[in-house]
Amino acid sequence: MEQSEAIRIDGITKKFGDFVAVDNIDLEVSSGEFFSLLGPSGCGKTTMLRMLAGFEVPTSGSIVLNGEPVENVPPHKRNVNMVFQSYALFDHLDVQDNIAFGLKRRKVAKEEIGRRVGDALELVDLSTRATARPNELSGGQRQRVALARALVNKPQVLLLDEPLGALDLKLRRQMQVELKAIQREVGITFVYVTHDQEEALSMSDRIAVMSAGRVIQCASPEEVYEHPSEEFVAGFIGISNLLQGKVESRGQVRVGDVCLPVPDLDDSYSVGDSVQIAVRPEKVAVDEIDKPAYKIVADMFTVQGEIESMVYLGVGNQLTLRLSNGGRLVALEQATYRVQSHDQWKIGQPVKVGWHPEHCMVLK
Amino acid sequence: MNASRFWNWFVYPGALWIALLFAVPLFLVLALSFGHVDDLGRGVYGFQLTNYADVFNATYVPVLLRSVGYALITVILCLGIGYPAAYFIARFGGKYRYALVAALVIPFFVNYLVRTYAWVALLADEGLINNAIVDLGLTQAPIQMINTPFAVIGGLVYGYIIFMILPLYVSIERMDPSIVEAGKDLYGSPFQTFIHVTLPATQPGILAGSVLVFLPTVGDFVSAQLLGGPDTYMVGNLIQDQFFAASDWPFGSALTVVMMLFLAVWMVLYLRRATRGEAEVL
Repeated sequence: MEQSEAIRIDGITKKFGDFVAVDNIDLEVSSGEFFSLLGPSGCGKTTMLRMLAGFEVPTSGSIVLNGEPVENVPPHKRNVNMVFQSYALFDHLDVQDNIAFGLKRRKVAKEEIGRRVGDALELVDLSTRATARPNELSGGQRQRVALARALVNKPQVLLLDEPLGALDLKLRRQMQVELKAIQREVGITFVYVTHDQEEALSMSDRIAVMSAGRVIQCASPEEVYEHPSEEFVAGFIGISNLLQGKVESRGQVRVGDVCLPVPDLDDSYSVGDSVQIAVRPEKVAVDEIDKPAYKIVADMFTVQGEIESMVYLGVGNQLTLRLSNGGRLVALEQATYRVQSHDQWKIGQPVKVGWHPEHCMVLK
Repeated sequence: MNASRFWNWFVYPGALWIALLFAVPLFLVLALSFGHVDDLGRGVYGFQLTNYADVFNATYVPVLLRSVGYALITVILCLGIGYPAAYFIARFGGKYRYALVAALVIPFFVNYLVRTYAWVALLADEGLINNAIVDLGLTQAPIQMINTPFAVIGGLVYGYIIFMILPLYVSIERMDPSIVEAGKDLYGSPFQTFIHVTLPATQPGILAGSVLVFLPTVGDFVSAQLLGGPDTYMVGNLIQDQFFAASDWPFGSALTVVMMLFLAVWMVLYLRRATRGEAEVL
């Protein structure tokens, strides 16, 4: 992957009347990167994407695409293409004419159009449906046509607005894998808008987590998941157990009457600061109280508690635990070989709960 | 089974209505078109083709051609005026959309005849417009507006434009706005996007509107009678005169049958097109 800069966004703000949809965003996207804008609906991610496409003009700030400022360039003169949430296929044209639409507007030679449309059809595995009308296709096939119609133009940046949102879960999973493979194959910069954290985590090189028009954190999926910068990020990406506490020392946070060991805090924290501690459910180990430790290992921090409720997920159990100090935690237990049907948990059963101190995320 | 037989009875009142008041008169017209007039000017049934020969004689062919020509011009004008109006309301009307559609429809609550008389008051030599421009000193004498093709076609456009705007509005409103954005995103200029995306996507509305305006316009006699003169005589006037002035019902019937067959051809072409393209038939 070459590391040249595909997009630079400087201080972009977009207001609709009094409503600030996008609030002073700075972002840089490298060439060839799979970059996701992740956030709940109304967070401004789609508005940001539409400004990249040229459908919205920013209120202030600048957008530079491959070295050229484009804020005031109309969409048909920008070398970016979009995959719309509704696919926006042209129903009066067949599949190959849909795909050829952009090339025809650019007056590409006829033989080249034929060749490139053929390649694009092959890329999305639709060569046999070239003459079908969009309304004869399944949802997944329509999605592929929309993708091919955009990719065939070899844009500098491909913009995707929740492209898998209308597909059912199984197809969505499959398309995630395919989309990522296609992106690797063509090497085009993807900017991907989604509210689905799993989608963003599984496909992206980097994720910008957005809320209320601002970028809260912009980092790799691992970083965003393991080291969320704020409570919002921790909560939006995966379920997080949040415990209110106060900084006791450099390596300890007091929650209620218990002192929890945490990874070393930097100088921005001082004793007595109110903080939140987040622990991912899958990092929480649960053992029966009167039996030898099974999952809890020596260097874990442990507390006592009881099973409050249990949800069977197939691949495991989601346990809600009431801790002896009154707190509540959710634990996600994988149904590995260690969990047999005969040692299912019972509601109200007393348990030992433990986690590694380094899995505590301290959030301001 | 019994329940469905019960509900089947509901088809008979409607069927009877159509049979008595539509099919029977139509058959009478068809039968009379082969008849002749007796010495007292009454229509007599018979079998002869002279009425049909008369329809295509040199006196009446220009009237037929003029009617079709006026109707086509009316359709084109309605499309030219109606499309931007419908597009604006459907895409940019926002919360005022229904109010704007209502504002368009309300004038059509007034009878067509009365509205056409209003045009007479506007366009006559002593009418509002001529009085105004003469009083303002723009011209010495009134401009001839009434009794011109301009007035007749204007009256037709005014009379039937709503039948163009409503199907267009429905068609444009149903269109996914993101396909227009997709057109621009795929390097189409606003004009190219309109030609290659918006027009094809709203074609059902264009077709439906054109047919709905064309059919009644070809046979219209009100506009030509009130706003026109001898030079703007249309087939609708010709038919009306056969029944009320000339008292030649058999010839009027033959004219009616020819007109109906001509319009039926267009209707069939439209229906075939509309059903093949899965377009809505309005």
